[in-house]
Amino acid sequence: MAEGLSNIARPTDPVGRVLYNISRILAMAGGVLLCGMALLTTISVTGRSLFLAPIPGDFELVAIGTGLAVFAFLPWCQLNRGNVLVDFFMVRAPVRAKTTCDVVGGIFYLIIAILLTWRMIFGGLDMYNYAEKSMTINFPRWTTFPPSILMMAFLVVVIAYTVWRSIQETREGRFFDGRDDADSGLGN
Amino acid sequence: MDGLTIGMIGFGVMLVLLAVRVPIGIAMLTVGVVGYVSIAGEVALFSYLKTETYWRFTAETLSVVPLFILMGQFAAKAGLSSALFKAANAWLGQFRGGIAMAAVGGCAGFGAITGSSLATAATMGQVALPELRKYNYSGALATGSLAAGGTLGILIPPSVVLIIYAVMVEANVATLFQAAFIPGVMAALGYILAIAIVVRVFPDAGPAGPRTTFAAKWQAILDIWPVLVIFLLVMGGIYIGIFTPTEGAGVGATGTFLIAVLRGGMKWKDFVDAILGTASTTAMIFLILLGASIFNAFLGFSQLPIFAADFFQNSGLSPMVILVGMIVLYVLLGLVMDSLSMILLTVPIFWPIIAGLDFPVQGEDLKLWFGIITLIVVEVGLITPPVGLNVFVINSMAKDVPMIETFKGVLPFFLSDAVRVVFIILFPTITLVLPRLLEN
Repeated sequence: MAEGLSNIARPTDPVGRVLYNISRILAMAGGVLLCGMALLTTISVTGRSLFLAPIPGDFELVAIGTGLAVFAFLPWCQLNRGNVLVDFFMVRAPVRAKTTCDVVGGIFYLIIAILLTWRMIFGGLDMYNYAEKSMTINFPRWTTFPPSILMMAFLVVVIAYTVWRSIQETREGRFFDGRDDADSGLGN
Repeated sequence: MDGLTIGMIGFGVMLVLLAVRVPIGIAMLTVGVVGYVSIAGEVALFSYLKTETYWRFTAETLSVVPLFILMGQFAAKAGLSSALFKAANAWLGQFRGGIAMAAVGGCAGFGAITGSSLATAATMGQVALPELRKYNYSGALATGSLAAGGTLGILIPPSVVLIIYAVMVEANVATLFQAAFIPGVMAALGYILAIAIVVRVFPDAGPAGPRTTFAAKWQAILDIWPVLVIFLLVMGGIYIGIFTPTEGAGVGATGTFLIAVLRGGMKWKDFVDAILGTASTTAMIFLILLGASIFNAFLGFSQLPIFAADFFQNSGLSPMVILVGMIVLYVLLGLVMDSLSMILLTVPIFWPIIAGLDFPVQGEDLKLWFGIITLIVVEVGLITPPVGLNVFVINSMAKDVPMIETFKGVLPFFLSDAVRVVFIILFPTITLVLPRLLEN
């Protein structure tokens, strides 16, 4: 996965720096939440194996917690060009051609992310109005929608920034993070 | 225009987008959304998208994925790869080619507690490459065995790719992990055999290392106790059925965290590193999962998968020919794409085709058998030119070895993969025996 090759350069412009810091804090918060879910599982399993009661519905909590963490991870991944792409057919293309394609891909993502964020608002309202609860522990499902929608809205801002960054890169004809070639980030 | 035509156009557009650097998840999302609207209308799409993102990210079947990624990240910080390599080297190093064999053995051990090939190749490369060069192993053999050994990270469970496959074909993750175990061990043994053959033909490529005393051999085994504990606890627990895979991954993440702190001396900076690495990888995977889910909803509407299944069922081709055709296609796709994206893109079409054909194995067994075959052939993409990522990772560590040497060095392991796939196709028992035994 991308971690082996991560070649993360901090943005140097003021907007980029602010977005970088917020994304990083969100990613850390999501990661700590994920660690919390791992701990919760461990406690529950330990409890069960010692014939005490397990934490009821722990798997529901873990799913809800990891879901929230995924929303928190998305901006970080986008800002650091972590989304895997096929570089093969354009590996010898000039940098400008690559960055122009990045602008197009970024605009697609921007439109989709706005669409998803907008629809999630109604999804959250539905969950609230129908008082949708998880099966075992009756966790009210609407509660994680407001933070998730906020993080999606922040993702939209980050994507807009990365589109702007790709436009600047096209103008100057180079990638800003010091690579002559963007990391193809092929997975696993 | 009927749905089928739209489906085919959608698939074509999707491939064009991939070719022009649109990230795979975003390409799937874009084509999925547009295709969905053109078949089912925007009212249906808007209603579907209200909660689709939430359910994809919050699915109980998928919460295992970030936990396994976290576990792998902590394992990489725990200094376990060094102990694993030393243990394997104490036993194998004295033979001709033995240090390369030890690198493969170390990768296999690391693969049993992590689901990432790149992390396996990278961490094992750091500890084994200096030793390999010290004993004058040829650049091709040294880098080739590490690049190939790295794929054991995913071939030996836990394996993120296998979890995703399980979700797509609605198979049991634990059973698939059981099924992958013997083929995974076979892979490690096959690689060791490949090294043995290479050094027989080219004795200078891999000279024997120093002998170690019997006591040192056992001491080295004792030093890898954290790996054994984690493996027995997590994978043992999942295999026997004490844990669900999610629980196993949670316990594993906690366990590797403790080992990383207590034994690996993980500092705050390493912790941040591990968390941010988890964040990037998890987000990348879940964006593709979301894209695949919308793309597949669209494909479902278009009836393309049913059409493809019918077409091949009535084509008069023998099932084995179709299977081999798919394998060839996977190897070709693997030249340009990563394994996870390949699985998400192809399995929705390939699985209905396979399920409709008359194979010697059927039902749940067929899911296991086809899954393991697919897992192996998509992983081959990690070591084949032009974008074999393991090759790049290892080659970047060995500055003096030309890339072409590393790709040459990988060739014997590629052949070993090919032989193994043939065995697994001809003898489904290899895959099915462990799930059968553990069923009782």
